[in-house]
Amino acid sequence: MSFLKKNTKNIVFTIIVILLALIPLFADIGLLKSSSIVRYGRYITFAIVAIGLDLIWGYTGILSLGHGIYFCLGGYGMAMYLLMQKTGGKITDFMQRGGFTELPWFWKPFLNLPVSLILILVVPGLLAALIGYFTFKNRVRGVYFSIISQALTWAMYTLFNGLQPYTNGTNGITGIDTIIGSYYDSTNIKILFYAALAALVLVYALSTFLLGTKFGKILIAIRDGENRTHFSGYCVSSFKTFIYVLSAIFAAAAGAIYVNLNNSISTSEMTISFSVSMIIWVAVGGRGSLIGAVIGAILVSGCEFGISSAFPDMWQYIIGIFFTVVILFFRRGIVGFVSDAFQRLTALKSKEGSAA
Amino acid sequence: MKCKLLKKLALITAGIVTAVSMSACGGNSSGGEGGSESADGETVKVGLLHSLSGTMAISETSVRDAELLAIEEINAAGGVLGKQIEAVEEDGASEPSKFAEKAQKLIQDDEVATIFGCWTSASRKAVKPVVEGNNALLWYPVQYEGMESSPNIMYMGAAPNQQAVPAIEYCAEDMGYKTFYLLGSDYVFPQTANMIAKAQISALGLETVAEQYVPMGHTDFQTIIADIKSKQPDVVINTLNGDSNVAFFKQLADAGVSSDDVMTMSFSIAEEEVNSIGANLLDGHLVAWNYYMTTDTPENEKFVAAYKAKFGEDRVTSDPVEAAYIGVYLWKAACEAAGSFDVDAVKAAAGGIEFQAPEGKVVVNAENQHISKTVRIGKISADGTINEVKATDAPVEPDPYLTTYDWAVAANLQPLE
Amino acid sequence: MDIATMIFNGISTSSILLLTALGLAITFGLMRVINMAHGEFIMIGAYTTYVVQDIFSKNLPESFFDLYYIVSLFVSFGVAFLIGVILERLVISRLYGREIDSLLATWGVSLVLQQAARSIFGAQPVNVKAPSFLQGSIGGTTSFSYVRLFIIFVMVICLLGIWLLMYKTSFGARMRATMQNRSMAQCLGINTKVMDCVTFGIGSGLAGIAGCSISLLFSIDSTLGTKYIVDTFMVVVLGGVGKLIGTFTGAGVIGISNITLETLTSASIAKFLVLILVIVFLQWKPQGLFAIKSRSLDE
Repeated sequence: MSFLKKNTKNIVFTIIVILLALIPLFADIGLLKSSSIVRYGRYITFAIVAIGLDLIWGYTGILSLGHGIYFCLGGYGMAMYLLMQKTGGKITDFMQRGGFTELPWFWKPFLNLPVSLILILVVPGLLAALIGYFTFKNRVRGVYFSIISQALTWAMYTLFNGLQPYTNGTNGITGIDTIIGSYYDSTNIKILFYAALAALVLVYALSTFLLGTKFGKILIAIRDGENRTHFSGYCVSSFKTFIYVLSAIFAAAAGAIYVNLNNSISTSEMTISFSVSMIIWVAVGGRGSLIGAVIGAILVSGCEFGISSAFPDMWQYIIGIFFTVVILFFRRGIVGFVSDAFQRLTALKSKEGSAA
Repeated sequence: MKCKLLKKLALITAGIVTAVSMSACGGNSSGGEGGSESADGETVKVGLLHSLSGTMAISETSVRDAELLAIEEINAAGGVLGKQIEAVEEDGASEPSKFAEKAQKLIQDDEVATIFGCWTSASRKAVKPVVEGNNALLWYPVQYEGMESSPNIMYMGAAPNQQAVPAIEYCAEDMGYKTFYLLGSDYVFPQTANMIAKAQISALGLETVAEQYVPMGHTDFQTIIADIKSKQPDVVINTLNGDSNVAFFKQLADAGVSSDDVMTMSFSIAEEEVNSIGANLLDGHLVAWNYYMTTDTPENEKFVAAYKAKFGEDRVTSDPVEAAYIGVYLWKAACEAAGSFDVDAVKAAAGGIEFQAPEGKVVVNAENQHISKTVRIGKISADGTINEVKATDAPVEPDPYLTTYDWAVAANLQPLE
Repeated sequence: MDIATMIFNGISTSSILLLTALGLAITFGLMRVINMAHGEFIMIGAYTTYVVQDIFSKNLPESFFDLYYIVSLFVSFGVAFLIGVILERLVISRLYGREIDSLLATWGVSLVLQQAARSIFGAQPVNVKAPSFLQGSIGGTTSFSYVRLFIIFVMVICLLGIWLLMYKTSFGARMRATMQNRSMAQCLGINTKVMDCVTFGIGSGLAGIAGCSISLLFSIDSTLGTKYIVDTFMVVVLGGVGKLIGTFTGAGVIGISNITLETLTSASIAKFLVLILVIVFLQWKPQGLFAIKSRSLDE
């Protein structure tokens, strides 16, 4: 009994994972449309980003409006490797247009799979470490951090669009295969889907473990009283930097998997609005609870897809009003709403019990 | 004890309910399951995939409207192969990934017979692998940078040799301009168009004085305008896009520069842009297209009247709007020639099909899936219309890789692959 | 390009930045509301100008046409003020003290306002015609356009007006009191609810004026506001939150460095460099150029 009670969230997570794992089977027997496998695969990568964001926002109180950068860096890294596979290491049309006759230096490591995989995680990690180290050490916090991270996103977006010979600008990198072969092979897609799901389970388990340790308690302490934690002798900025880097690496990993399931990456994944929608996933699902982040990412993306298909001319009304209402009245998101409802229910029950 | 058990059960059911509603929500989202009979029922589904929100909605909504008009007309006349066309609209939201996602949904879930859509090169490049991988068909309505010829895309807009190249020829030969200033938004169409222009200008023995790019959505043109004023080029070749164009011309006029001082030749200004910039500011400037609202053909008279009747008197037709409109008709003609909606059959039948379009006769080129188009240089007048000043006598055959131009071959503009 | 033109361009860009950021300096600087829909209030101002122009050209004789622009400056303030008040009552008033939540909720509002603009006016940009007294420019080769001079003029008037209102009237004193210490102000008999509402309205109204002024230079469409959201926040944060002089200096620094760098490099690179420079500066001085001195730890 107490096992169930202590592990409610993990049980719910298990159920979600099982349901997700059934999606390819449902698609096979025709209960779901065939394109839903890649779509849910992408939503799973969103859920990984959301877990990372929840770690820094829900648990540590840092709101980043710039996680699209890390997601994209991971994604571009993977896409560069895949493109090099496709061209066989030759230069591409956009480099040729830019006047290159040989591969720019920073493309060269992406000819090699192990090096690419390392770079995909290390480059965003280092960038996050750099940004985190300085901003947190200089005690830039709260909304200032959010505004700065937003400006940084905008700056990177402008840069990526401006450096066309290197990044192909707004077109991004298209016309690639997946890491295990053609994108149009349903077996490949299923393998990638389960790989994404496995990554989600891994990230969830790692995060749950981390939050269960003393480290996790310190994060919450920072959120609830940064100065007090500081005065208790903890080096707050190191803790913040560490968790920020970790969440950036999660985002980068998610981006790398996303490219395989999306078959392209472009700068539109680096816009501010994409980074804000990441926050919305966490806010709707329920900040400060990992399961909330997972539910939010999948639910919001799914609903957005559905609503925009059903009402192509006015879906932004529905989404906009929905977000505003959730933020205003359901501060702790879906998870908060459900658990509150149950608390009230049991309170009512126990009252009845005592009356009887 | 019992109470606890209940609570746990309830919690678990809550979890399940959330999860199920989640997948249900996603399931619904596959949407429009009603008429999945697709090609064998009373209707045939086609997808319309344009940005209805985001920055590109400015341009793409009217293209979507033109496609809806064509579909309505065809349906009123009895449909295609005896079936009514059912349009499935999707919003690409100005994001290439959304375009790819929605294209996949249209092809795999809705099983549409074909897709009419896209505007930006980025969205076309994102949809291209989707239509190629699924062997579907995309009808693309906008003039573009060329250097592409996918077997699964029908290009209704001009290739460079049907717009940009003759426009520069006109500047050099008819107007006698010697110095060119290249200004564009920072993305692939202006970059490629200018690459071609530079090769052409130097082959003509003329001079490119500057090549400037501004980020998409850029609105402050003071520095650029000051630069133009100091360099005094004969003509500015303008490949700006969307709202940047509006800002550029408003600020150009505001800085006291008219077409008498510096002439501009624009590739992305059509009747709609003229309206939103203000025709008085554009008086005398040049544009290059294949169609204007004033183009004098009986088909165009009918088309303009129908468009205005459906969407309002103040709406105007333009080159991309017309290209989108003929796309639907060419698809109909190809289906009828093939006798089926099957993509391979339609593709095979499409080559050589002729259509009397508002811009005049167009013919589908079997080799590169582009269409032959009449090239028209136009001059904007203060009343908001664009009037033809020079046109080719016959439709120009599409040559997306510019293989028939010696200077282009010499400059080695073809992509590698 | 000669130096005079460059300086004028820098001042012009700065004045546009300042005008668009002035409303935010109030809603964000004073009220601590992260209003992501600020850009949409600029858009509302621009569309209001279009509507006023339409009414004038349809109902009044030609000779009155030029007046439309003057009228629309006031009307766009009024319309944006009203919508601001409604937004404050419906959404913002529930979010005081929840800065991050105000950011997210107003993001939703901005989506709704953009879609509303598309539904009402269509997706294509609309056009306003410059009144005859603002057409043209003075000077010869180095010319200063009337529209840009007019925007500088409007900016100065707005800045002056806000300064007078905040520091020279009892209303301003009550406003600042409410924003600095809400409970104390309440104890002294200030109706803080009304103050909040009016202050937010003024901030939004200023954005409306900005929208009206820039409508002569930029495209008026539903995405107009999204272009300003990063720049305006950077101006306010760089200058130092809560200080008018800070916002003034911040706009000047960003505007002039933008023009200088654009002349030296290209527009894309200039934009990137300016943002990075501001971010690096904020690492060094997180409180911005003009910080409010305070001994408290969590300001």
